[in-house]
Amino acid sequence: MSLLRVEDLHVEVDGKPILAGIDLAVDAGEVHAIMGPNGSGKSTLANVLAGRPGYDVIRGSVTVDGEDVGTLSPEERSLRGLFLAFQYPIEIPGVSNMEFLKAAVDAHALARGEEPPSAVDFVKRARVAAMRLQFDPDFLKRGVNDGFSGGEKKRNEILQMLILEPRLAVLDETDSGLDIDALQIVADGINAFRANSNAVVLVTHYQRLLNYVVPDHVHVLAGGRIVHSGDRGLALELEERGYGWLDD
Amino acid sequence: MAGSTTDGTALAEMILAQGHSSYAPWLDRGPHLDLVERRALPEVRAEAWRHTNVARWYQAILEGSEPAREAHRIENPAEVEVVDFADPRAAELQEQRGEETYRLTAQPIAALNALLLGAGIAIRVPAGCAAREPVRIFDLPAAYQRVLVIIEPDARIELIEEPSTYTHRLVEVVVRPGGQLVHRRLQAASSHRECSLLAIRAEARACYELSQLSLGSDLRRNDIIATLAGNAANVSLRGAWRLDESRHLDNQIAVHHQAPGGTSRQTYRGVAAGRSRAVLNGRIEIAPGAQQSDATLNTKNLLASDTAEIYAKPELEIYANDVKCSHGATVGAIDAEAVNYFRTRGIDEHTARALFVRGFLREAIDDPDTAQTLGLIQ
Ligand SMILES: Nc1ncnc2c1ncn2[C@@H]1O[C@H](COP(=O)(O)OP(=O)(O)OP(=O)(O)O)[C@@H](O)[C@H]1O
Ligand SMILES: [Mg+2]
Repeated sequence: MSLLRVEDLHVEVDGKPILAGIDLAVDAGEVHAIMGPNGSGKSTLANVLAGRPGYDVIRGSVTVDGEDVGTLSPEERSLRGLFLAFQYPIEIPGVSNMEFLKAAVDAHALARGEEPPSAVDFVKRARVAAMRLQFDPDFLKRGVNDGFSGGEKKRNEILQMLILEPRLAVLDETDSGLDIDALQIVADGINAFRANSNAVVLVTHYQRLLNYVVPDHVHVLAGGRIVHSGDRGLALELEERGYGWLDD
Repeated sequence: MAGSTTDGTALAEMILAQGHSSYAPWLDRGPHLDLVERRALPEVRAEAWRHTNVARWYQAILEGSEPAREAHRIENPAEVEVVDFADPRAAELQEQRGEETYRLTAQPIAALNALLLGAGIAIRVPAGCAAREPVRIFDLPAAYQRVLVIIEPDARIELIEEPSTYTHRLVEVVVRPGGQLVHRRLQAASSHRECSLLAIRAEARACYELSQLSLGSDLRRNDIIATLAGNAANVSLRGAWRLDESRHLDNQIAVHHQAPGGTSRQTYRGVAAGRSRAVLNGRIEIAPGAQQSDATLNTKNLLASDTAEIYAKPELEIYANDVKCSHGATVGAIDAEAVNYFRTRGIDEHTARALFVRGFLREAIDDPDTAQTLGLIQ
């Protein structure tokens, strides 16, 4: 059984069709890359997977481990192991990274029927993750993404992923706007996360990340559909030729 | 009279018939009596009472629903002088206060405080005193009460008004040159109808900092007047409130720069849920001659339900040309994107909203522990 299965997914926003029949199957242990022109629907797909309100699923289904998650709230999906790294992470002044992460980790522990970790254990864990992503120690005290640079926000998404240990991580352009070192840090984070029990969907515009995080499959999303799929060679070809040739 | 509403006239008649309080007989009640005799108490639709039905407060006075209490409950460091208003020594301290910290014509209901006064304390922090422990006011034993605080030159202290109930509380604060007062006011949620007036005079280089946390009452009105009376005085007012059910909080705040080189900072954050109503009128007045004043007012508010109401209005009156002044007021909703962000991390919607509100209010709170104890943030 696929970890994630998307079938014939049609999605509208305010009556405007955006996804027009997406089919996608992701197995445990796999990395899939989704590429495609601006406005083709990549973030829409990512947000719909995460259960964000405001999207109307007109037709089709999304299942995780065989369970239809279509009617689940964003938090229920998260608790079942879905994780979305946002293309544009939100700033939340006044709520520290520490509080935010603790609230999330506690919710996940409770959902598994476990005691939430003690504050001391949690802080240790958070510090390790922060170090891995090369954040200052005082990062945990700062407001969530508050005044963070673009690259810091992206690294923070990966940090959250490492702490929450999802089954399926959808990373929406986590590589955009990163300098060379930060790209390496993010790639190392993703590789450290990869395991046979989980899967990663990378939305990206650039082939560079895929040199570090080698995908098993590459898909091209255009006009709300997956118009082409291939192996990692497809990403190299897209980099060279653009998207135009796919129309032919 | 219909029974459920009353105007100032009915109240004035009652007070004139029963005579004024004999507590603290040294207090000059002439102007207060005069105001009531002239029937100059605010009318129901007076401009200053646009958002609060003053008749509901008058009604509470007529009903005299305030429970009786026995004694002052106050804690203070030994070096601080605390005197009951019944003691003639309080008259001396009142004398030391100097000129009025507010104008009765602008604050007519303060007349009721004087005429009905049942409890008062005067607090004097001697020159140069740097007490580590705060002065804490827990309760004063009457519905109409007042507190006079004199911070002598270069003295420094913290004053905490713990949650308590009253019908009217008047707090006058004078910070003498170089003195410093950190003032915390905690107002728990209450089913009472309560008004308060806080009037501050900051003299040269004095520093006054207020942090006011409030959960609203059946009716609560907080008037604050801060006057920067001496050169280079410093006033900082921070307020945070969170109202739910049908609670009501009306903040009327004025900062007067009367001397050159003063700095004032006003920061308010408010959240209104349920069918509550929150009001902030913040006024900055810079007098001619108060050059190089630097004044800011910033208020942000969140409407957490469709049925709550928020009125936030800054006002400026500037009569000097060399000043820095800025103000901003916003009323918005809880950020849906932020709530979604929390939820995608497994945090349920209710907790997400509570975390968001807490973060929002914290921008105006310097003491999250107290705010949490009070229930302002969860
Ligand atoms: N809430 C919305 N309301 C209206 N239109 C929307 C909304 N969300 C997405 N769209 C539209 O849907 C289309 C797809 O947007 P989406 O963000 O999914 O594209 P994308 O493939 O992620 O693009 P990019 O590469 O620029 O990030 C765009 O035309 C966008 O304007
Ligand atoms: Mg996108």
